[in-house]
Amino acid sequence: MKRIAVLLVALLVFGAVKLPMERAITDAHRAAYFRGAKLDLTLREQIGQGAFVAALSGFRGVIADILTIQAFTAWENTQWSRVIFLYNQITTLQPRVIMHWETAAGYTASDASVAALEDPKQPRQALRVKASRDFIQQGREFLERGIRNNPDRYVLFNKLGALLAQKTEDHYAAYEAFSKAAEFPDCMGYEKRFAAYELSRCPGREAQAYALLLKLYRMGASQHTPMLLGRIAAMEEKLDIPSDQRVCNQHGSPQ
Amino acid sequence: MQPRHQFFSPARVSAIAGNTLLELVRQKVFYFLLIFALVLIGASFFMGFLRPELQFQVMKDVSLGAMSVFTWLLAVLATAMMLPKDIEERTLYTILAKPVPRFEYLLGKLLGVFVMLAISTVVMGAIFAAVLYAKEQLAIAEALQEGKITDPAQIAEIVRNVKASTFTWSLVPGVIAIYFKAAIFAALTLLISTFASSWIFTIVVSVAVYLIGHLTPIAREYWLADGGTWLAKVGLALIALFFPDLQLFNLADDIVAGNAIALGLFLHTVGLGCLYIAVYGCLAYWMFANKEL
Amino acid sequence: MPDPAIAIRNLTKVYPIPFKRERVTAVDHLSLSVEPGQVYGLLGPNGSGKSTTMKVLLGLVPATSGSAQIFGRDSTLVESHEEVGYLPENPYFYKFLTGQETLRFYGKLCGLRGAALRERTRELLKLVGLENAADRRLGGYSKGMLQRIGLAQALVQEPRLLVLDEPTAGVDPAGSREIRDLILEFKSRGITVLLCSHLLGQVQEICDRVGILHQGKLVREGELESLISIENQTQLIFENASPDLLARFEAEAAACGARLVEKSKPHTTLERFFLEVTK
Repeated sequence: MKRIAVLLVALLVFGAVKLPMERAITDAHRAAYFRGAKLDLTLREQIGQGAFVAALSGFRGVIADILTIQAFTAWENTQWSRVIFLYNQITTLQPRVIMHWETAAGYTASDASVAALEDPKQPRQALRVKASRDFIQQGREFLERGIRNNPDRYVLFNKLGALLAQKTEDHYAAYEAFSKAAEFPDCMGYEKRFAAYELSRCPGREAQAYALLLKLYRMGASQHTPMLLGRIAAMEEKLDIPSDQRVCNQHGSPQ
Repeated sequence: MQPRHQFFSPARVSAIAGNTLLELVRQKVFYFLLIFALVLIGASFFMGFLRPELQFQVMKDVSLGAMSVFTWLLAVLATAMMLPKDIEERTLYTILAKPVPRFEYLLGKLLGVFVMLAISTVVMGAIFAAVLYAKEQLAIAEALQEGKITDPAQIAEIVRNVKASTFTWSLVPGVIAIYFKAAIFAALTLLISTFASSWIFTIVVSVAVYLIGHLTPIAREYWLADGGTWLAKVGLALIALFFPDLQLFNLADDIVAGNAIALGLFLHTVGLGCLYIAVYGCLAYWMFANKEL
Repeated sequence: MPDPAIAIRNLTKVYPIPFKRERVTAVDHLSLSVEPGQVYGLLGPNGSGKSTTMKVLLGLVPATSGSAQIFGRDSTLVESHEEVGYLPENPYFYKFLTGQETLRFYGKLCGLRGAALRERTRELLKLVGLENAADRRLGGYSKGMLQRIGLAQALVQEPRLLVLDEPTAGVDPAGSREIRDLILEFKSRGITVLLCSHLLGQVQEICDRVGILHQGKLVREGELESLISIENQTQLIFENASPDLLARFEAEAAACGARLVEKSKPHTTLERFFLEVTK
């Protein structure tokens, strides 16, 4: 008994020694985007005790995958509320898996919103449009939450820009999202152009957009996509640029 | 004929370590690797209905999760019965009756388990990489066939995208962290077995430590935060101090998500793991040193 | 003057009983000495302290007080084990090892390597008659074979002292005889043997000295012959003596004041008879 008592004291002393080291490494992990999953009682209520314990024990990924398969089934059955419910849990468990945020946004902002718009059970169009917009907003929230958890990656900025560009009228927000994506050295390369396109669709920002488009144009032939040339032409038209100073003609061809 | 007695003999330690490993091999513990391979292959077939990116994600999560469970289980089960069995069958008497210090005996036993865990981890990693590679090649072939792509640049991009979702070397630190978690449990289980009355007690306590150890960072956070009753603070403090922080070694989930860990941070993490092992090992020796056999 | 093989001085071992105030004194101020080359029988009923004495001698258990030395070295030091080979009672070695692997394992623990280890293993297997079972796992060995491999591992480092605890327990008469003959051979090589056994007939055949423990104390100790001889009696055995001759001896003895205690035919031992019949 005496030896066990001494052992417990030794463990306690070791505990005091290891405490600052554990804290330091935990903080370093968090700064490097590890262990960002918030495993709290809300999640425990949603996924159940067994799954919560498993998630705590290092099986977050597996639990998230199981929920993903369930979400896939819910998507197949067009159970949109359940899809959103499950993806809230999935993204909480695996906040650093970009694919989950993308899929959640895609299911809600694309599939669910179109389904809501065409819902045969809803005779009133206004309500169908509202439901569709709610799903689009839900998709946007998924991407914004995803960005908060993954500020070091360009992909979700890209996806947010695309969603805002295609599904909303918030072109300035789309421009900001694409611009953020373009700041990453490993981005796809087209984000700067897409940012410029979106800016060109913002009323009152034509001059700023034109400057941006010209800057891209001057980067070389690789940037001379039909869309870029077309937007330059449109801006030159809107800004009434003298024809001898125009870069593109009305048809969007270089002069 | 006999050499002068050495205070510490690596040869004696390696004889005991080799014997421990041989015992585990002949107990056919490595057959579990077959189960691991079957789980992986089964999982890869079961998920055929999912899109490739998700299939790879699931495969990686399931593989690393299975690896984590198997290595931990192996560590606990192999170590829990080591000491009690040697004492009960009196093989320990014949060993300690030779010029073998008790610390060499324990060190040899522990090293044998560590080597067994390392072999298991490497083999599981190889099976994992092989199955992933097979799926990768299948996915590339399907993608090229589906899109009827002939452009070399497009082919290269598809191949690059698929490979980025499958095996990358950044997974290796996650696997090493899994190994260290198991090794910590081997040392901890050995410590518990030095005073436990039965191997069942040892296993139950090890399982309890496993579960509570994953709550350690949460307990630490709440203990050091403001608010809460003194009783709660005491309880949380005891958990934070007594139990190892096992979440430090749960890197695989985030690594699979694409988070690569910097070498310096990884070495710090592994260094703390080595400290846990050293302390638990030393405490096990201290408990065993004057144990009446 | 060479150090005694075993020197135990005032050895006491007390075991506390958990959760109770009582204590059990397993060995009580034991002192004994075994000279090099002797075969010493340590006897006593169950619970008399024999096993505890051996465990203290081998450093498996610490003494409460007193000391034990092996060839002049404190038995608590690991280096004192270099001179000792130990065979515990009912030994279980690692069942997953073959006979050869077992000896190689213990040989490595004693610092043997390479060709020297291989040669020693071969030698010992031959000595204990297990050459043909060398590649069989110990899980398939009989009791007698286990005892013999146990003896072999005890001898692997050529110790000067052998401590044998019930070496023939549970072994058939033929096997028991072989082990007895081996012990006599060790004795002839100058190896000191400390033997614990309940088989008093065997102890009587092998041992030079015995010590009898009872309730942790050494109650009698000495040369075997002097301990079991009946001082005031003399035994004469005649072959082919006629009844007349015997009658004249009896009359002469009575005339000198001696009393004839017993007149009978000498017996062989049941063991010898058994072995002759089953040869």
